[in-house]
Amino acid sequence: MSAALALAALFIALPALGGVAQVKLKLPLKPRLPLRGNEKIALAPFILATEAEKARDRRLQNVDLQAEFQRFLKKQIEKKTRLEVVELPTDLKLPTQNLSELGRSSEYWRALGAQTGAEIVVSGSLEFRVEDRSGYKTEEYVSPIDGRTYYRQVYVEQTGFLFDIVFIVFDGHSGEKILQDQFKDFRQTGGRRADELQGLFENLFSLENQILNLFVARDREAERYIFTD
Amino acid sequence: MGLKKSALALGLVVITTACGSYARTDKAETQISFGSSVARKGLWREAAFRFQKAVEKEPQNARAHNNLAVALEASGEFARALAEYKKALELDPNDSYIRRNYARFAEFYTSYTRTTGKAAGGT
Repeated sequence: MSAALALAALFIALPALGGVAQVKLKLPLKPRLPLRGNEKIALAPFILATEAEKARDRRLQNVDLQAEFQRFLKKQIEKKTRLEVVELPTDLKLPTQNLSELGRSSEYWRALGAQTGAEIVVSGSLEFRVEDRSGYKTEEYVSPIDGRTYYRQVYVEQTGFLFDIVFIVFDGHSGEKILQDQFKDFRQTGGRRADELQGLFENLFSLENQILNLFVARDREAERYIFTD
Repeated sequence: MGLKKSALALGLVVITTACGSYARTDKAETQISFGSSVARKGLWREAAFRFQKAVEKEPQNARAHNNLAVALEASGEFARALAEYKKALELDPNDSYIRRNYARFAEFYTSYTRTTGKAAGGT
């Protein structure tokens, strides 16, 4: 009978143990730009903020950041929005390599809009860095001999990929800047010889939602707590 | 024989608990309990209805206001959710779960209203 009482106590106690539950919600994120949705968009080149570093870091020389980013952006926009990407001259040069001046070059953007028929034009700056974060770290260690806990120094090899984008969106008719935003992502992988291109795309895919949210509505997952009793 | 008695006793406890909890629909805690179970299945409209009932029965119940706020947020009724989070916090300012929920909602809602340029009443 005592076993039955113990079981009964457990049944009664169980609901009281809970009390709080974590739930996931999908929250809508409205597009950052007030668009109809089917505008013609031109993807102009971005200023590369890594050029000086590229000369020093051989691993960056393997990555054509401009081409990879443009290809990624075009593919995502074509796949996940109704915007029409218009082609730009392949030899298109930016009016400046200074980000602030780029945002103020309204005459240049207006002319580009008129030339291509683009209603909005996207440009900005890109930075991609590969960082070695190798070094000694303190680790807990339980000795199999005496069972006691010790601390030891271990050498850990890690590679970090940092991606930083500044988006500037221009009105193709007036050439005026209508939005500027910055997105950053940092990924860390084990091992020193992690692939740069893979790191770049890990950065890009993690920023995909934020980038697309400039143009179209997206969902964001959020966690909240509810009381259960 | 002992085993039979144990099973009988356990069965009685289960039936009593189940009947006791879902039969008293006039109680706020029953509505909260049912509402939270449907919320966990993603049925947010039904959950909001249950939590609303709980709030009507016990207007001073911070937990009911918190749950209603979450259900309204999940249903896209952000302005009402904000009012319910505020009420929950006013009733129980020291509850860490309510505070965390409110902080996260405030972050989202600020960016949402900044993006849309309006303190949206609904979606």
